[in-house]
Amino acid sequence: MNGAEQILNAFHRHQIDTVFGYPGGCIMPLYDALVDDVGVEHVLCRHEQGCALAADGYARASGRLGVCIATSGPGATNLITGVANAHRDSIPMLVITGQVPSGLIGTDAFQETDVLGMTLGIVKHSYLVTDATEIDGIMEEAIQLASSGRPGPVWIDIPKDVLLQQTPEARVPPADITSGNCPDLRDVIAMLQAAERPLLYSGGGISLAHCENSFRQFAEASALPAVVTLKGIGNPGKHNPDNLGMLGMHGSRAANRAVDECDLLLVIGARLDDRATGKLDGFAPNARMIHIDADAAEINKLRAADLSLRGSLADILDGLTRAVESKPLKIDAWRHQCKQWRTTSGFSAADNEEPLAPITGPAFIRQLSRIAPDDTVIACDVGQHQMWVAQHYEFDHPRHHLTSGGLGTMGFGLPAAIGAQFADRSSMVINVTGDGSFMMNAQELATIRRYGLPLKIIVMDNQCLGMVRQQQELFYGNRESQINLDDNPDFVAMARAFDIPALHIERTDQIRRGIETILAFDGPMLLHVAISREENVWPIVQPGGSNREMIDESQTKTRKDKEQVA
Amino acid sequence: MSPKPSPTHTLNCRMAFEPAALERLCQVVRIRGFRIASMAVESLDEHLDIHLTLEGTRPIAMLQAQLEKLHTVVGVGLVGKVPLARSQSA
Repeated sequence: MNGAEQILNAFHRHQIDTVFGYPGGCIMPLYDALVDDVGVEHVLCRHEQGCALAADGYARASGRLGVCIATSGPGATNLITGVANAHRDSIPMLVITGQVPSGLIGTDAFQETDVLGMTLGIVKHSYLVTDATEIDGIMEEAIQLASSGRPGPVWIDIPKDVLLQQTPEARVPPADITSGNCPDLRDVIAMLQAAERPLLYSGGGISLAHCENSFRQFAEASALPAVVTLKGIGNPGKHNPDNLGMLGMHGSRAANRAVDECDLLLVIGARLDDRATGKLDGFAPNARMIHIDADAAEINKLRAADLSLRGSLADILDGLTRAVESKPLKIDAWRHQCKQWRTTSGFSAADNEEPLAPITGPAFIRQLSRIAPDDTVIACDVGQHQMWVAQHYEFDHPRHHLTSGGLGTMGFGLPAAIGAQFADRSSMVINVTGDGSFMMNAQELATIRRYGLPLKIIVMDNQCLGMVRQQQELFYGNRESQINLDDNPDFVAMARAFDIPALHIERTDQIRRGIETILAFDGPMLLHVAISREENVWPIVQPGGSNREMIDESQTKTRKDKEQVA
Repeated sequence: MSPKPSPTHTLNCRMAFEPAALERLCQVVRIRGFRIASMAVESLDEHLDIHLTLEGTRPIAMLQAQLEKLHTVVGVGLVGKVPLARSQSA
C-alpha cells in the first residue's frame, strides 16, 4: 500500500464519501489511487478556489467534514482564499495538497511553494508529511482536530515521493473524540434570574456545536428576547416571537436597541465580531455579560465577561432549559418592550403594488422567502444582496443560510451552493448572488452542468459593486471609485452557454412568476434580476461607529433635501 | 520626545519539535500585536523550550490564550499572570 492509498483508507474509516478537487503534477499519485476507488466521489471543480469553497458549503450544509484536494504551487495557492474563508467561520475542513518531491523542497522546483509557511495564519493546524508511515496517524489526528472543539481547516501537505512510498498496512485506532462535560451553571442561572432585561445573543457556534435543538428549546423555554449574528441567523427559528433578528452594522434597529438597553447579555457561540458590536465602547453599555463558547481564546478577547463558561454547549443549554422551566424568568415587561420594538423597528420592506415598477432587493427577497420551501438552503455571496437576505429572508434553521461571515468572500456563493447540493441531492439549493460576486467564480457553472445539479441561481444585477458604491455615497462624499460594472456580460446568454436555462426579469409584476418558474424547473436554472443601481441597504452603521448611531434612508433623504435647498 | 515604551512581558513556551514550529509561534505573536525583544530556543528530545521577552500594549493573557490554542504547544507560562474574570469550564 502506498501513501496515497492510505489517505483513501482514512476517508473510508471516517465515512468521507465526497471530496472536491483538481488534479495536477505532484498530487497525481492520489488521483491514480482514486481511479480504483468506488467509495469516494471526487467532484471536479473548475478552479481550486471553487474546490475549497464547495467543500466549505458542503460542511456548512451537512455538518460533516468538507474535504478539498489540489496539487502543489498554484493549486495550493488557489485554495488559500477558500481555506481562509473556512478558518474565519470555523468550518471543519481537511485540505490535502501534493508537494514537490522531498529532495526538491527548497530548490525552487517547478510548482514549488512553501505551503506550510504560507498558510500558517489560516489553518487550525497543518502538517508537512515526511514519511508515508506518518500518514495514518496524521490523517486520524487531522480529521479529529478539524471537527472537534472550535472546528477549522487542517492542511496536510504531502510530497509526491511520500504519496508513492510503499508502507505496510497499519491498524489505526479510531480517533478519540472527547466531548466536554457540563460546568456548574448555578452562577449563570442566578444572574439570569436576577436580571430585569436579559438578552440572548447567539452566533454560528450553535450549529458548529450541533446543538440547534438544545438552543431552540432554551430560547423557547426562557422566552428571552433574542438577537443573532449574521452566522446565527436561523438559530431561534422563524416562528419565535421574541426573535429580534440580526444585530450590528446592517442589523435591525430593534435588535441594536435591545442590546443597548439590556442589563444582561447572554452570549452563546459568538465572538463579538466588530460588524456585530460596532464601536465596542458603546456596545451594551448597561449590561453585565455571560460568555459561553467552545474557544477559551474568545473569552475576554474584546470585552471582559463577568462570567464565562466552556464545555459542551448542548449540555449547558439543556441544563439552562431545565432551570428556567422549573423557575421561569420574570421578564414580562421587558419582553413586551422588545416585541414593541420588533413591530415598530424590525426589518420591513413594503411590497410594491405598482406592477411596472422596478424590482427592489428587499421586496424580491421577501417574495422569495414566502415562495421557497421552508427547508431551502440559500447560499449567498457578499454584498448588498447578502444583507438583504440576512434582513428579509426568514430562516428556520442556521444550516439553511450559508454565508461568508468572517472573511466576506465574494465568489463564495456559487461553489458553496454546489457543495450544499452534494450534501443533499434532493434539497432545494439557491445561490443568491450579485453581479460582482457571480463573476468571481462563474466558471463553476461548468461543474453544475457536468454533475446535473438542480440548484438555482439568482443574480441580483445592479451593474455595480453596490455595497462599495453605497459606502462611497454615504461616507466618501459620493465620490464613486472603480465600482462600475455596466459592461457585465449578458448573464442569460452566459448561463445558456453552459446549457443552463435562464430568465430575465426587471419589473415587480414579474417577480412571482420568475421565482415560481425556476423553483418548478427540473434542473439548474438562472434568474437574472435587474435592480436599481442606486438602491442601498438600510439601516447602516458607519464602519467604526456605534450601533446606536444607525443611519436610515429617511435621514439621508433629509440631508440631501437640505443640501439641494442650500 | 521619544515614544512611550511598551510594557514588557516574559513568557516560557514548550512546543513539539516539528516543521514550522517556531514560525507558527512567531506568526501568532506578531499578528496578536506583540514584538519579540529577545528569544532563546533550546531543543530537548522531541520538544522545543522557548524563552521569549515580548513588548506590546495588548493584554498578555490574550496572547497566552491564542498560543495555548496551537495544537503543538504543550504549555505556556507567564510571569505575573492576573485573571481577568471568573471562568468555569468542564
